[in-house]
Amino acid sequence: MRSALKLALLIALLVFCSLPAYAAETEAKQSTVKTDDFDAAFDDDFDDFDDEFSDSPRPLISDPLEGWNRGVFWVNDKFYFYLAKPIVRVYRVVPRPVRTSVGNFFSNLATPVRAVNALLQLKIKDTGTELGRFLVNTTVGLAGFFDPAKSELGWEKKQEDFGQTLGYYGVGTGWYLVLPVFGPSSVRDGVGLVGDYFVVDPLSYADLTDAEYFGIKSFEYVNSLSLDPDTYEGIKRDALDPYLFIRAAYVQHRLAKINK
Amino acid sequence: MKERFVLMKRVVFLLFVCCLFFSTSAWAASGPTAEIEKVVDSVMKVLNRTDLDYAAKREKVSGMVQKFINIDSISQRTLGVHWKRASPEQQDRFSWLFVQILENIYLNRIEDYSGGTVDYLSERVKGDKAIVDTVFVSEKVEIPVQYKMVQQQGVWQIYDVVIENVSLVRNYRSSYGSIVSSEGLEGLFAKLESKLAEPAGSGKKE
Repeated sequence: MRSALKLALLIALLVFCSLPAYAAETEAKQSTVKTDDFDAAFDDDFDDFDDEFSDSPRPLISDPLEGWNRGVFWVNDKFYFYLAKPIVRVYRVVPRPVRTSVGNFFSNLATPVRAVNALLQLKIKDTGTELGRFLVNTTVGLAGFFDPAKSELGWEKKQEDFGQTLGYYGVGTGWYLVLPVFGPSSVRDGVGLVGDYFVVDPLSYADLTDAEYFGIKSFEYVNSLSLDPDTYEGIKRDALDPYLFIRAAYVQHRLAKINK
Repeated sequence: MKERFVLMKRVVFLLFVCCLFFSTSAWAASGPTAEIEKVVDSVMKVLNRTDLDYAAKREKVSGMVQKFINIDSISQRTLGVHWKRASPEQQDRFSWLFVQILENIYLNRIEDYSGGTVDYLSERVKGDKAIVDTVFVSEKVEIPVQYKMVQQQGVWQIYDVVIENVSLVRNYRSSYGSIVSSEGLEGLFAKLESKLAEPAGSGKKE
């Protein structure tokens, strides 16, 4: 099963390599130069003020697979409400501090993903922060169940992943993609996700059967969902078309992360 | 003659200082951050009351936020290119519907915002526009919220809210733009109306 997924990574990479030319064009405008200069940062935040009345407003992302994506979105919706949510509802009898600690544990375990990607983006200080956090939280934080690195030392977690690394090197977002279970993604970030999961994630090297591996991943998923303040329900309730809303939010969120 | 001239100069200088003083103090009282503080404080005061239930809070907060929003600007920017193509009646209709939608969204979030505090991080002003960075902190979450404001007739009003790097206006422009492209403005209005007709959230959450 996992080897099948690694094969999927290869295929995705092939598809992916044929796309950057297109994607680079749509994103050229957004990859503005990073600068601490006040005016530049200010203008950057206002970059769309006059742009939005132009006759051909650039779309946030290209979505030629919309029909397919909406299908996966529908399946994910059912999966969420009829399988994941009932489990989460029961699981929430576990006190919140315990669930937070479990979340910390998994997050600590995933340190290599963040550290490697910070390093790949030559963010040396962030790489150091991640490694420092790992050392402190694994020891003083009792195997990562607690986060003294943040609460005592103020070392914030640096959210980095392979999708951001690719973006950092100028790889465009590519088409919008809704992944089963994982939800909103893009061709680039989908490839990044597979890379993080099966190349860097230490759990993929652990000597586990497929059943054990997916069991652990499912537990991690349920735990993180139990900590989420029902974001999806909120979006479904508020948005005219949740698919469009999530698509726009996802793209903006990723762009901001990459430009950080 | 010379003495008179010196006196004149002094008076002019004094007037100038007075003007400066009054204008800056007036500016400070209604600066961008002060405006945000006003709306946030008034809303938070209601939300953090423990003697009110969800429905009561909802009723009290309703209408509080509207006057701090630049409704024209936010509606125009949300429809973007479709605004220019719409008739004045359609523009008015959209603004009217959209304000209600925004208020509903805000009211639906009341439960999430109860019991939290807001920290003001920074204020950047350039000409008639300003950005105020804040962070909402509660037991469960820490959400960066950025307010983009525009000054018209001396009043600072919000024209966009950026939550965790996601701009509300950009999001709605993208979503509504797709709907208008496939179903036209009337299609969008129909969807907005049916959304507004849905029963309000129960406020029951974890």
